[in-house]
Amino acid sequence: MKTCFFALVLAGGVACAGELKIDDPWIRAVPPGSKATAAFMTLSNSGSEVVEVTGGATPVALEVKPMITTKSKVDGHDVMGMEFVDRFSVEPGKKRVLEPGGDHIMLMKLKSVPKAGEVVALTIHLESQGKTETRTLQVPVR
Amino acid sequence: MARGKANDLRSRRIALFIAAACAAVAIPALVVLSSVSKHRSSPWFGSYDSAARPAYDFSLIDQDGKPLRLSDLRGHIVLVSFGFTRCPNICPATLGNLAAVFRKLPPEAQEKVDVVFISVDERDTPESLKEYVPFFNSNFFGLTGRPADIGATARAYGASFRKAPAVGEDKSDYTIDHSTYTHLIDPEGNMRLLYRFDQLPETGRIADDIQRLLGLPVNTPPPTVQ
Repeated sequence: MKTCFFALVLAGGVACAGELKIDDPWIRAVPPGSKATAAFMTLSNSGSEVVEVTGGATPVALEVKPMITTKSKVDGHDVMGMEFVDRFSVEPGKKRVLEPGGDHIMLMKLKSVPKAGEVVALTIHLESQGKTETRTLQVPVR
Repeated sequence: MARGKANDLRSRRIALFIAAACAAVAIPALVVLSSVSKHRSSPWFGSYDSAARPAYDFSLIDQDGKPLRLSDLRGHIVLVSFGFTRCPNICPATLGNLAAVFRKLPPEAQEKVDVVFISVDERDTPESLKEYVPFFNSNFFGLTGRPADIGATARAYGASFRKAPAVGEDKSDYTIDHSTYTHLIDPEGNMRLLYRFDQLPETGRIADDIQRLLGLPVNTPPPTVQ
């Protein structure tokens, strides 16, 4: 918060997304021939402003997008589905866990299918108060 | 003396009334309590289908393109889930957890367990299923079939699915909303247990259910009946 404030004064405004911590990222190993896979991680915002994840990039896929898991009813039965969203918001002082069966970052149109044991570079696009920042993670595949 | 007798009778009536009133409250309460404790002491981790109704004998196509009926698997425990191979999150999580359950079983149980994944996606073929399902465990296999047979199977198992609208330009690039239950069919072909998606990470308890059904020793003893 403090650093962010000084940075704002000195530099005339930089992103505060630096206050977002990304822990335990991993990508799911999927069968050969798969067109998509998912990345999971824990996002913790220790700052005082909302930080948003707006997407990303990786050498292994053409598109990287935030996706939520939805629950609805069909014929009275519970079903689960997926929906793209423009962004994930992480409120100040809050944590958002991206996990199997829940929200995730989708890696679509895979150029190569990540295999268990590999490490894949994944750049996450962040936005806070209109400022953008990118963060590149080395993500294990499992 | 006569008056004393009448008093005595009256107090006996009151005592009887109180006893009856207590019983009227206590007996239903006991029934409710005992059913709660029975529920709690169920040896099964999955929801138990006490009616033991025969599971619908589906007739589908396996990942080698051969016809397969559920009754062909009689004598085995069959774990059935529904999904599609372009599913990057829910289905891999389901099959990944079932693979962990399978690994926890001793060899004598493994050879009596079939894990089948029924595709609710018309884009799936035996080939796409063969590439997808055994990836999680080489013993698992995928099933496809005529849309009418898939629909009838899903309906009979209380599973639902629908195409979600395509997001991009490519209208063939859609996902499918689907039920996420795993159904356990016993060796006699009865619907026995049902697992919700969020129960699947408890792989040890599911392995215990399977071993108990097969009459094999389990790792955790069933809760003691109070």
